[in-house]
Amino acid sequence: MSALIFFFTFALIAVGAAVGMLFSRNAIYAALLLIVNFASVAFLYLSLGAPFIALAQVTVYAGAIMVLFLFVIMLLGAERLPPSQELPWQRPLGIVLAFLLLIEAVYGIVFRVNSAATLSLPVVEFATPAEIGSALFSTYLLPFEITSVLLLVAVVGAIVLTRAEGGARRRALVSQITQAVATEVPEHKAETPEEEKELV
Amino acid sequence: MVPLSYYLMLSAVMFFLGVLGVMLRRNAIIIFMSLELMFNAANLAFVAFALYYHSLSGQIFVFFVMTVAAAEVAVGLALIVAIFRTKHSINVDQLSSLKG
Amino acid sequence: MAAGPFNATMILAILPQIGLLALGVLVSILDLLWKENQKRNLGWLTASGLALIMVLAGVFTAPAAQPVLVFGGMLRHDWLSFVFQMIFLFGAALTALFAMDSEPLSRKGEAYMLLVAATLGMTLMASAADLIMLFLAIEMTSIPLYILAGFIVGDNKSTESGFKYLLFGATTSAVMLYGFSLLYGFAGTTQIYQLAGILQQGQFSTFTLIAVLMLVLVGFSFKVSAVPFHFWAPDVYEGSPTPIAGFLSTASKAAGFAVLMRFLLVVFPMTEHYWIPLLAVISTATMIVGNTLALAQKNVKRLLAYSSIAQAGYMLIGVASVSPLGITASVFYLTAYLVTNLAAFGVVTIVGRSTGSDELSAYAGLSRRAPGLAMVFLVALLSLGGIPPFGGFVGKILVFAAAINSNLIWLAVLGILNSIIALYYYLMVLKVVYLYRSEDENRPLAIPRSWAIAMGLCVVGILLLGTVFGPWYQWSVTAASSLF
Repeated sequence: MSALIFFFTFALIAVGAAVGMLFSRNAIYAALLLIVNFASVAFLYLSLGAPFIALAQVTVYAGAIMVLFLFVIMLLGAERLPPSQELPWQRPLGIVLAFLLLIEAVYGIVFRVNSAATLSLPVVEFATPAEIGSALFSTYLLPFEITSVLLLVAVVGAIVLTRAEGGARRRALVSQITQAVATEVPEHKAETPEEEKELV
Repeated sequence: MVPLSYYLMLSAVMFFLGVLGVMLRRNAIIIFMSLELMFNAANLAFVAFALYYHSLSGQIFVFFVMTVAAAEVAVGLALIVAIFRTKHSINVDQLSSLKG
Repeated sequence: MAAGPFNATMILAILPQIGLLALGVLVSILDLLWKENQKRNLGWLTASGLALIMVLAGVFTAPAAQPVLVFGGMLRHDWLSFVFQMIFLFGAALTALFAMDSEPLSRKGEAYMLLVAATLGMTLMASAADLIMLFLAIEMTSIPLYILAGFIVGDNKSTESGFKYLLFGATTSAVMLYGFSLLYGFAGTTQIYQLAGILQQGQFSTFTLIAVLMLVLVGFSFKVSAVPFHFWAPDVYEGSPTPIAGFLSTASKAAGFAVLMRFLLVVFPMTEHYWIPLLAVISTATMIVGNTLALAQKNVKRLLAYSSIAQAGYMLIGVASVSPLGITASVFYLTAYLVTNLAAFGVVTIVGRSTGSDELSAYAGLSRRAPGLAMVFLVALLSLGGIPPFGGFVGKILVFAAAINSNLIWLAVLGILNSIIALYYYLMVLKVVYLYRSEDENRPLAIPRSWAIAMGLCVVGILLLGTVFGPWYQWSVTAASSLF
């Protein structure tokens, strides 16, 4: 019974935060709500016998990734979101995906084999960090090594894409950033999207 | 005891919300966050199944998904910053020099 | 399933990957050491390094008759993966040569390093035998390509195309990942070769399996740019640096096909009766959409983008035939398409570099400005259109034969009709190249040596695949046999 209460508490928080993120008109709030969602899912991971994943979720997802999001939002001064129309390619994609999802929702009911199954409490030895570690360095050694290349690629990419070239470009960037910082202050006062557009 | 299907339904709902976000929102950063929500939903399903089968591979999968998500976010946000520098906007509508 | 100690088979199986990693590191280091005016040589280094890896892989890693699973079942070392690895390495080497003359890429070591990293991802995609490895390989391919598509930082079009590619790619891969999680939920394993058996024993309704298959197909369709997940292609090709667009349309597409074939035939053989019609419909839609939209294009890069969407449709015919002949045909078609399309994009690179435009009007009088270049374009476009004696012709014949053999006669007929439409717009482009006059006619185009070498290789490839097709056909047969 207590397990059910635990599940529903965090499930509701997770869904509530996700819905909040979906309708938030402020990018900062959206990011914070997403952190709440990630954190509550981390609690669910704990109850699923995955302490390592739960902690990775908090440090990597809620910690590193979302901080990066917040950093970029604040750097760009892009927290307020004006309403706008759709792109031509997004609607068809949306329809197809929504259709697939409909099938998925039905699947939850159709999937009879497991629907009655309850999850037993994890046995003590299951998925300890030590076990995960030894699996990563034996069976999953190759993918593990590949992630190192992947992260290197991401670092190189982030530098290439944001680096300004040569002295002139760098000076231009510095002035751009100072400008952005300067405009950010009045932007906080902008109440409506129209006003904000004028400022830009 | 919590039935497995509860976790799966939660994961399906979160995935659905993520898809809605990608479809409905126009701000590049919010679309990106919705994508993270979709990955997160898949992760939850993996961990739940890992417990059901008492097999580690589900949790290992989640570990790799997190790494990939981190790399993807780094590149994506770098692209957003690069676009913002020239356009001063990150609205997907205004990526108008290219129309499908 | 714990991995045993290392043995020679394991190391040999990943020899190409080790080579690619070493090459990527070498390029990154030399990029720091070399002076600005030497950096163009990084292109030579990358291309020759890739060629060397091809030779080494060809000599040492040819798989045994019996396929083996290595690294705890992560990779399957078989002929399909071997042949595809050769295709990727060849495509990447040609792309490196083309990149040497494309301004933003030529002097940036990072560009070559990312190209090598993407190739590394593709080689893993072709041999992945585990969902974890497969997902990681797909992302390992995509992420460097997102960066390369957005590589021209000062140019809005490029960064936007990179971002569009990333948004679309990440969305489809999230959907695919969800499909993977359900597959894992059904079977309790991530090993692709164990999944099929467990799925067959389990009491799963066909409906559920099809639903999961559709989710997974979303990710693969994106990679091969099949309808309805083709929207990104024209925009991304137009915005990204031209050599990268060529790479995206060939090697990246080939990697998608390698995964699609293995996955459909190995994991989902029991639902064949449902996904064959589905695939046939996707293939038809892809051909029709690609060809009809290509008719209206005035920009050669966009035209080639739509044409390469349509080409994916022909290759899907081979997969939908689900027979050794069908897979053979697709592999052969992919090889011919790779050399042909790289040649076409190579021409676009050089014309774009000299005239600063990818519009069709910039190609007027090309036959007088650069007869050799125009000749290459002629060969490439006729091969894309399926005219003998070029590689594209043999590919098309094989694909249609496979469809007829598997009683998909309507699909073959639609394919032939589509080829006729496609031929029309290829000829329209050639008309501009050969018959239209322009004021710059007496100004010849400069053609760099690296480009001439790459182009020579492409033309030789197109002609060899179209005339002496025996050996390549045998290769494709062997590759296909490792799936049946």
